[in-house]
Amino acid sequence: MRVWSSEHVFGHPWDTVIKAAMRKYPNPMNPSVVGVDVLERSVDSRGRLHSHRLLSTEWGLPGLVRAILGTSRTLTYIREHSIVDPVGKKMELCSTNITLTNWVSVSERLVYTPHPEDPGRTVLTQEAVITVKGISLGSYLESLMANTISSNAKKMGKEILQIYLPNITKPLTQQ
Amino acid sequence: MTSESAATADAMNSVGEACTDMKREYDQCFNRWFAEKFLKGDCSGDPCTDLFKRYQQCVQKAIKEKEIPIEGLEFMGHGKEKPESSS
Repeated sequence: MRVWSSEHVFGHPWDTVIKAAMRKYPNPMNPSVVGVDVLERSVDSRGRLHSHRLLSTEWGLPGLVRAILGTSRTLTYIREHSIVDPVGKKMELCSTNITLTNWVSVSERLVYTPHPEDPGRTVLTQEAVITVKGISLGSYLESLMANTISSNAKKMGKEILQIYLPNITKPLTQQ
Repeated sequence: MTSESAATADAMNSVGEACTDMKREYDQCFNRWFAEKFLKGDCSGDPCTDLFKRYQQCVQKAIKEKEIPIEGLEFMGHGKEKPESSS
């Protein structure tokens, strides 16, 4: 099992970052996400928005890794649950793969909150737990996947929202 | 990266190819409601319910056809005052 975590600060207020985060796919930095659907969405009795989404991704695992895993499948499905609390200003996303589960479990959690010292900034904390099951090269593959996640997260967490943030302040009718 | 690529933020595909147009229409409605109402504390009616229903029917069909293992979700769609607990 491998655990990876990171923290990033955006130079924008929470509302702005959340609007961009809800719309971050597609993006050229992470072309592996090829499909996104909302399965369920509702507001709970505390006024928080719950969304369940299905993401389809092309993992882009190297051929060697796929050979080790014994699968030629490249399309993987991920289920994501997000909760947006507009009053408490917290957005939390949890996702996990729902295919390839015999071989690997990748769970990620992202939390966006206002910076405690500066409401004009937003903190994103991300963590991922990766477990490769039942094969002797598990440790190596976990490292590989952690590096992929880390690299994607660095791109996603920073450059992607920077791409969307300049546009997010335009009126929606112009987007 | 150009602004054009950012402007296509709503141009993501659905996992069911036939559902993509419905998805994009729903996404635009949702994103507008989310930014202009929900985040500003406006709890008035959700204008996207009908769009979501149509889109959902299509997605459910695609999930069954592709045998995507979704468990524990009731496709109740778009609603308010649901219990906090979720699958």
